[in-house]
Amino acid sequence: MSRKPSLNPETQPAFSDTPFTLYGESLSSRFILGTALYPSPQTMRDSISAARTGMVTLSLRRQNPTTGSGQLQGQSPQQDQSQQDGETFWQYIRDSGCRLLPNTAGCKTPKEAINLAEMSREIFNTNWLKLEVVGDDYNLQPCPFGLVEAAAELVKRGFKVLPYTTDDLVLGQKLLDVGCEVLMPWGAPIGTGQGLMNRYNLRTLRERLPNTPLIIDAGLGAPSQAAEAMEMGFDGILLNTAVAKASDPVRMAHAFAQAIEAGRDAHLAGLIHKSQTASPSTPTLGQPFWHQS
Amino acid sequence: MKNIGVVGGGLLGRLTSWRLLQAGCDVTLFEAGSLSVCPGAARTAAAMISPLSEVVDSERLIYDMGMAGLALWPAWNRQLQRPISYSERGSLVLAHTQDASQLTQFAAKLQHHLGDQCGSDYEWLEQSQIARLESDLSHFHRALYLRTEAHLDNHALLDQLLADIQALGGRTLEHTPVQSLQAHRVDTQHQSLSFDEVIDCRGVGAKPDIKDLRGVRGEVLWVQTPELELQRPVRFMHPRYKLYVVPKPNQQFIIGATEIESEDRSPISLRSHLELSSALYALNPAFAEARVVMTDVNLRPSLMDNRPRLERQPGLVRANGLYRHGYLLAPAVVECILAEVLELEASVFTSHITRGISTSLKRSPSNQKPSPSNREHSLC
Repeated sequence: MSRKPSLNPETQPAFSDTPFTLYGESLSSRFILGTALYPSPQTMRDSISAARTGMVTLSLRRQNPTTGSGQLQGQSPQQDQSQQDGETFWQYIRDSGCRLLPNTAGCKTPKEAINLAEMSREIFNTNWLKLEVVGDDYNLQPCPFGLVEAAAELVKRGFKVLPYTTDDLVLGQKLLDVGCEVLMPWGAPIGTGQGLMNRYNLRTLRERLPNTPLIIDAGLGAPSQAAEAMEMGFDGILLNTAVAKASDPVRMAHAFAQAIEAGRDAHLAGLIHKSQTASPSTPTLGQPFWHQS
Repeated sequence: MKNIGVVGGGLLGRLTSWRLLQAGCDVTLFEAGSLSVCPGAARTAAAMISPLSEVVDSERLIYDMGMAGLALWPAWNRQLQRPISYSERGSLVLAHTQDASQLTQFAAKLQHHLGDQCGSDYEWLEQSQIARLESDLSHFHRALYLRTEAHLDNHALLDQLLADIQALGGRTLEHTPVQSLQAHRVDTQHQSLSFDEVIDCRGVGAKPDIKDLRGVRGEVLWVQTPELELQRPVRFMHPRYKLYVVPKPNQQFIIGATEIESEDRSPISLRSHLELSSALYALNPAFAEARVVMTDVNLRPSLMDNRPRLERQPGLVRANGLYRHGYLLAPAVVECILAEVLELEASVFTSHITRGISTSLKRSPSNQKPSPSNREHSLC
């Protein structure tokens, strides 16, 4: 991906980057945004736009577009027909022009997740899927066993599965074994805003799976945390709550977009290694000796 | 004397009809369903007038219009032939221990939207203070008390408005779906009627005529128990919904409401039922023995910015998009409608919610009230 820096193009060089490619398709941004919990659909779309994102997740279960409206008492059939679609909200998301990534939020068994995935494929006309299989109600932690089982079946059925997983290396490897080409490890439990809880595990994932696209999904609260994940070499960030529940979601989306770009640039630029002693970047020859230790 | 057709017998349609009749107009009110059991969101709502709670997830305009509502409701209630139960005891905001951070965030958002100016309208309470206000919630250690908020008995209000409309000579046509509605004219299956002004208050029913209108599904639970008493609405933090419990007459409580982007009117889901019931149980375990009296589902008429909107053209006013704020915003919206139809001085909110050419009189500079979006001029 070649991306022009946002400052004056006359004075700034254009930095090059490899494309952000998932399942053979290049995405225009490393920032994936969720569509739930915004104060209004308008704010959601403004946030998508401020995030400069190329893909958004959405949940069929929480927000069901297919059921249409039941008939109001006393309403004529003709009136009801015009309301049958119940699609206004979904069309509004589609109109953002982003690629859609349906998710299976809230599913607790492989069967539930697979059924919902099939419905989502039909309705949203995409075989991409963010797979969630919840193992624990309190922290919405992914169920490792159900996740692998569901992923294997969905890959067989032709889905491009992006599994929401913990930061466990072996689980990640099992998901790759059954045919996933992307992993989405958590930073922290969904909606907690805790940031990167287990850097050791995340670093292990990155080092051991250098060629697998890894997206940090869930648990981020601050743009600095997203920047840190990108600095560590993660390929992308997926989040929802930190933007949607901010006092000013649109501005927060903008802040995350900048942090993610900054983190990516920092990763490519190569961070210096930390060192125990100071090494001055300016010569100290002119300083009196009692100021030198 | 103006001859007005009001289409839609929900809260907005009834309030508008009643105010117009009081102003001396001839009014015909059309309702597709029943008027004795209102089929619209006005029946399903908990009927809080809660500008502080609602600004947290919306914007300053909603707060300002809501504050106008808080000022108008008591006065309007006194004008009803039989005033209904209207309670001004404020509301409490609480969180389960695990969601304590959400309560802090709630307060931070209040501060973000309102600044310090409205600081006297809310305060933090400790356990002993909570116990003094609500003895059945004395096990909570921390709460926000929003002292200016109110709530009313909406089922009684809808009935009383209908009675007053009929007593003032309004013509009411229930089970009369409107097939088309335009400036100066309303067509039903059997007749075509002419009016000086037509007012479209159909809520979600106006979808064929308002492109960006959508319904947002909400589910509520009614329970009854003699074991508990609440003096005021209680908000309860939840990661996805804005949950509230509101005391109603006859030892009943309403708990709501889910918020689902769907126009599905089918009965409440088991998941929602569980979430609402467990919130009640977490509030006080004595709710476990309450009887579930009723579940209810309806669609909130909403526009994409979740703001109210008035569309004005000669001979026609469309009012819609009250979303989850029906009882909060209705008085301010009705004032805007009346200013259009009766050519009165414009409401301070007219310019913020009106599309089309307003026929209300421009506000004279001497009467110019502060802009509701201007934080320098608080209405609180």
